[in-house]
Amino acid sequence: MKHTIRQVFRSGKFVVGFIIFMIIIAFVVFYPLFVRNPPLEIIGQGTFFPPGVYVNVFDSIDSSTRYTLNLDDATAKRIASKLNEDDRLAMGEWLVASGIAESEINTADTALLMDQWLNNFDSKLSIPGMTNAKRNYFIRLDASLDGLLSEEGAIIAARDADTGELEEKEVIAQTDYVNIGQAANIRVLPLGTDNFGRDVLTELVKATGVSLLIGFIAGLIATGIGLSLGLLAGYVGGIVDDGIMFVTNLFTVIPTIVLLILISFSIGQEHRGPVTIAVVIGFTSWVWTTRAVRAQVISLRNRDHVNLSKLSGHSTVRIILLSILPFIASYVVMALILQISAGILAEASLSILGLGPRTTDIPTLGLMLNWAFIYQAQVLGQWWAYIPVILVIALIAFSLNLMNTGLDQVFNPALRE
Amino acid sequence: MSNVILEVHDLSTKYITRYDENVYAVDGVSLQVEEGKSLGIAGESGCGKSTLALSLMGYYFPPLHYTKGEIIIDGRNISGMDPDAVRKAVLGNEIAYIPQSAMNALNPTQKIINIIQDVVRAHDSRVSKDEIYEHAKESFGNLGLPPEVLQKYPSELSGGMKQRTVIAISVILSPIVLIADEPSSALDVTSQKMVIKMLRQLMDQGLIKALIFITHELPLLYNVTDDIMVMYAGQIVERGSAKELVFDPLHPYSKGLMGSIIVPERGIKGAKLTAIPGVPPNLKDPPSGCRFAERCKYARPACTVTSVTLNDLGNGRAYRCIIPEEELKEIYKNG
Amino acid sequence: MKGYVRYFVGKSLWFLITLFFAFILNFMLPRLMPGDPVAGIVARMAQGMTEAAGVQAIYEQYTELFGLNKPLYEQFFIYVNNVLHGDFGYSISQYPRTVADVIGSSILWTVILQLPAIIVGWMIGNVLGALAAYRKSGFDKVLMPTSLFMSSLPAFGMAVILLVLFAVSMELFPTSGGYGFDMIPNFSWGFIWSVIMHYQLPFWSIVLVLIGGQAIGMRSMAIYELNADYVKFSRFMGIKDNKILRYVFRNAMLPQVTGLALAIGTLVGGALVAEIIFSYPGLGTTILSAVLGGDYPLISATALIITIMVLVSTFIIEILYGFIDPRIKAAQTDD
Repeated sequence: MKHTIRQVFRSGKFVVGFIIFMIIIAFVVFYPLFVRNPPLEIIGQGTFFPPGVYVNVFDSIDSSTRYTLNLDDATAKRIASKLNEDDRLAMGEWLVASGIAESEINTADTALLMDQWLNNFDSKLSIPGMTNAKRNYFIRLDASLDGLLSEEGAIIAARDADTGELEEKEVIAQTDYVNIGQAANIRVLPLGTDNFGRDVLTELVKATGVSLLIGFIAGLIATGIGLSLGLLAGYVGGIVDDGIMFVTNLFTVIPTIVLLILISFSIGQEHRGPVTIAVVIGFTSWVWTTRAVRAQVISLRNRDHVNLSKLSGHSTVRIILLSILPFIASYVVMALILQISAGILAEASLSILGLGPRTTDIPTLGLMLNWAFIYQAQVLGQWWAYIPVILVIALIAFSLNLMNTGLDQVFNPALRE
Repeated sequence: MSNVILEVHDLSTKYITRYDENVYAVDGVSLQVEEGKSLGIAGESGCGKSTLALSLMGYYFPPLHYTKGEIIIDGRNISGMDPDAVRKAVLGNEIAYIPQSAMNALNPTQKIINIIQDVVRAHDSRVSKDEIYEHAKESFGNLGLPPEVLQKYPSELSGGMKQRTVIAISVILSPIVLIADEPSSALDVTSQKMVIKMLRQLMDQGLIKALIFITHELPLLYNVTDDIMVMYAGQIVERGSAKELVFDPLHPYSKGLMGSIIVPERGIKGAKLTAIPGVPPNLKDPPSGCRFAERCKYARPACTVTSVTLNDLGNGRAYRCIIPEEELKEIYKNG
Repeated sequence: MKGYVRYFVGKSLWFLITLFFAFILNFMLPRLMPGDPVAGIVARMAQGMTEAAGVQAIYEQYTELFGLNKPLYEQFFIYVNNVLHGDFGYSISQYPRTVADVIGSSILWTVILQLPAIIVGWMIGNVLGALAAYRKSGFDKVLMPTSLFMSSLPAFGMAVILLVLFAVSMELFPTSGGYGFDMIPNFSWGFIWSVIMHYQLPFWSIVLVLIGGQAIGMRSMAIYELNADYVKFSRFMGIKDNKILRYVFRNAMLPQVTGLALAIGTLVGGALVAEIIFSYPGLGTTILSAVLGGDYPLISATALIITIMVLVSTFIIEILYGFIDPRIKAAQTDD
């Protein structure tokens, strides 16, 4: 046993898979210890806030200490953030169309460009071939450029409690900075928020844990059923074997997804918790394990040590436990690993189809994808809502497959070369 | 002295693994087999005996590579020949090979007759199908195999029948030397006997002129071959006549191999297998002294210092150990 | 040929039996769940529909369709009879369309998408796997981890990656639908071109995932076959390497064919989910909208259709397999 484990850990593939898997588990276990936010708390009013550090605007204006930094490129950066390359080119185009010589236009020179634009732009001017959408774009662009070159600060005013008049309190200069460490309210959202305005990272960690649990329960059930049926069919043989194989063959050709869809839908929304889904997945995916175990047991059934055990009058249970199980243990472990990975994928598929666990307090990887896809995040380019989820699914499946391949190479030396 | 059929001088071959490591599986082996004689090669698995069998064919494919040495069959040195010439002129024609397991030695999706056609045509593409069929039928008949076998797929034959078919195919081109690599190890006792009987029949009928029989059961060879060679870690550790080696082994390793069977007279319970403790050394980096020293009961400090050469006692007898013959016999006598 | 006829009859019988059980499952599952299925359907329906006349029509239809006041076996006959006439009742979520109508407009999209994708993916995967087994060096080292990663990705994962890369960032292909949303299906060039462009990403996402799994399977099979004793035996009997390789790859291919037959159910399931990512107008998207609309009749019928499609393709593959594997054609009837 010790020797086998040592051998397994010498397989590069297994070790890589194991490390990836352990890192994922570590995240699931330790992240909640440091970040104690409830995973499904709605913190954002609106959908799909992009990843980043969120600083409270009021706090930063209200900050008691303000620092003046003399940075030469601050203005340039501010303009660049509002006026990108496409806008500049579009402005150039408009200027050319309005009759300014192309040689006089330099889109890289912001001051010149702005000057020409302010002097020449006329929203009512109709240029041949310009679509309505384009015209609206130029009007919006013009509005956004308003005051861009001004060097005045912004005025903060407070309403006087008695008179109701606005009174100027202070002016925030363009060179004013606040130290982010001194701001009272900051929220880091490394993966932004989802369609409901929930912190994706916190949700993802919780979902990973739940999905792993679903995979684990489903895997255990499937392997348990598969192992028992396989042992029974392989060892007992005869009518028992025929019966079990009939059912197994039947469920091999009838697509699992169809069973899952029918059963999940029949159970009804209200009753579909993560555990229920895991159990359903487990009960529909045992066929491969049954086949594999049966084949192994049949090849073992007539080995010398099994015959010896039979001749010695040992009970069937004892023969199976002591003379057969140890020899197929490696296969069973491999089957379990595959089943866990398959269970996680099955939950994800089912959830994307809208038949996943229906909970309001626990996310799963599949549900996160379902939410993102229903809100068309994949088309709108809100990658943070689904790419990390898919990456986690792929990494879990990849690490489990790697471990499995590693084990396979240890136990089936032919593949090692 | 009678006619030498197969002569091997200082043959060395190695495996090159995926990580470009060299595994020196056969290291300086010399042997010769005379006409009408058979040679047994014994040793544990991993001691290089199967690799030696592959190396004797003079036809190498990765990961096995030729390093040095000569193989002379019936007076012709084949070790320098072009591989395709070896394939066409030597393999099957002069030297034939029976692999370990007959269960998988035949392509499962070909009928026996088609396998034979491929073999014959690989050496002479002009032979017609009818000629091949007639020849195969006759050849199978001589060995007591019914002609119906030819029209069957390997999966339709029983284990014993499959094994006999493999042997019959291996001699279809009347080779001079036949190398059998543990041909009986996967079979039940009756089939084992039949295979050995058949190999003897081949010798008796003069269908082959020499036989090399490889097994991990040293005592089995006593009934099968004239001479025996024991291999350990890619080297010959002892050779001699079958009788000498079985009843009077000199090298501690041969002695150990003899001890690793059950002696029926003593009763099953009392006779614990005296299997040799430990495993053969890693041939990526063989030990500098005697390669068996690590596992040897009688090892002395001197054993691990210098490499041990083969101690030739004349008359074909030799062993690789620093302890003199008389002293070894004395040790064994006292248990 | 006798053996093949027997094989064919056996497979046909098995096909009919599984078909029968597929019907039973589809029939029994809603009836096994607690409560009155018609009431359940109507309850869900009441949430989604406003037309009182429609509700009434559906209620009557399903009371009749389910025939709940009749004995179970009679209900089953009514059900089978309805199915055979293509009568699945009205769709709840898309009333007044019938279920048959909804499925009829989406089934072709699924078949045209999945059938070629599965065939192409299977073929490319097998060729790559065979190459990886034969050329162990660099090709294998790159291909294997890539394949392992690709096969770890679910089809929907691959679909999303392709979508983000080629549709959202590079804008080479459209993001969703089966054809341009502003088009009406016709046989003009513009429409066909639009269909082809919309086809690419869903197609390749299925193909790429399939390639990974098939390549790994083929590689293992081919390595297993390359190490088989018949390869060694054939080589040492002088048969040329090219010929041996042909046998090896053919033999390795055979389990891959049966493997495809067994895996097709899983493949179809994955591909259905991939359809959703691209809002492809096939059965997968139909299921999603049926689930969202609480449309039990549509879900049940779609499930049955998918099962039948899978059963038929499995049957076809197995029948073809009988032609490829010579052992089946030659199998004697006497044992």
